[in-house]
Amino acid sequence: MQKFIEESWLILVMGAVFAVLLAGVQTSLAPTITVNQAKALSEAIREVVSGTDRSEEVKIEGYDRKVYRCLGPDGNLVGFAIDAQGIGFADKIHLVVGVTVDAGKITGLKVIENVETPGLGNKIADAEWAGQYRDLDPGREIVVQKRPPKPGENEVQAITGATISSKAVTKIANEALRKVRPELVKLR
Amino acid sequence: MAEASQSNLRQFSDGIVANNPVLVQLLGMCPTLAVTNSVENALVMGAAVIFVLTMSNLITSTLRNLLKPHVRILIFTLTIATFVTIADLVLKAYVFEVSKKLGPFVPLIIVNCIIIARAEVVASRSGLGRSLADAFGCGIGFTIALCILGAIRELLGAGGITILRDLGWHWHIDPKTFEPHAWVIMIMPPGAFLTLGAVIGVVNHLRSRGAAKGGA
Repeated sequence: MQKFIEESWLILVMGAVFAVLLAGVQTSLAPTITVNQAKALSEAIREVVSGTDRSEEVKIEGYDRKVYRCLGPDGNLVGFAIDAQGIGFADKIHLVVGVTVDAGKITGLKVIENVETPGLGNKIADAEWAGQYRDLDPGREIVVQKRPPKPGENEVQAITGATISSKAVTKIANEALRKVRPELVKLR
Repeated sequence: MAEASQSNLRQFSDGIVANNPVLVQLLGMCPTLAVTNSVENALVMGAAVIFVLTMSNLITSTLRNLLKPHVRILIFTLTIATFVTIADLVLKAYVFEVSKKLGPFVPLIIVNCIIIARAEVVASRSGLGRSLADAFGCGIGFTIALCILGAIRELLGAGGITILRDLGWHWHIDPKTFEPHAWVIMIMPPGAFLTLGAVIGVVNHLRSRGAAKGGA
């Protein structure tokens, strides 16, 4: 035991000191980081459901991620925002999709986390590309095409050179809507 | 040791030019290839590495007389891991968007060869002044090398350079005229290798010319 301490006292001391240092940094910065993550999410909700002033979490049967009731400045319901996640080309994709109060139309979609290929797949985070989802029908499957979408066909056009990322986003949105939409109708 | 007569200033400038960790020592290739797809990513990665390298060299140099041979590497790694974790938390708190883009590459600074190499070669054998000069030199050299690569790749691959949107700055270079002609492969992995190879080729050419002229 004596020999052990003699040989390794420096590591033990440094380990303890660094542990305290890290705990201190973590404790002081954790609130800021949580705020950043919450801000990113609430900003996304505001973008996908216009007119949102604040949002409340709701529990949806059979769906393990969060769904939000979006309320306008006077407290009335303006839409719902659904948090969804799934696997993309590189790693997971985290997005929020908004629907109208009667769950009859998609009001917007925003990808908030992704590590897709820069310059190609990560264009799914561009408002311009994601804007295609607006006004689509959440009750039907959204289909990805490699050509401009035909009106009324519930289609979006894939990003050139990033078909897999484009399809991933659509699949994630489709699945989330499939699970959540029937329950939303009950929630109004 | 022959290096004993070398001034700290020389140690510092060597890290930037003559002994540049990326372009001459050829260390830290992984982040060099991965985060040079934009100048902004390169700058933030460079800042993180300067911080970690400085703290690592500082602590290693301060403790150099206490380092027993069989725990040396362990202590280097412990120190580096601690400060990389601190850097990661700071980035997540203050430049959230960029830290998301850098993704796993910030924690990977722990295994960046540059930092552990400088700890071994310089900090564990030299005084505080020399170690700090070396840390700043190599850190700044690393950042400059990454920014050169980042500028080339972003300009050719995305058609323009955008920096520091997060902090409210915004420096855009001429995207409209160049964008339609952007060479997308430059921001993908093949572009990383091509650019790195080209830049190292140029650097080697300049170095051999300097040597032929009887320079250092």
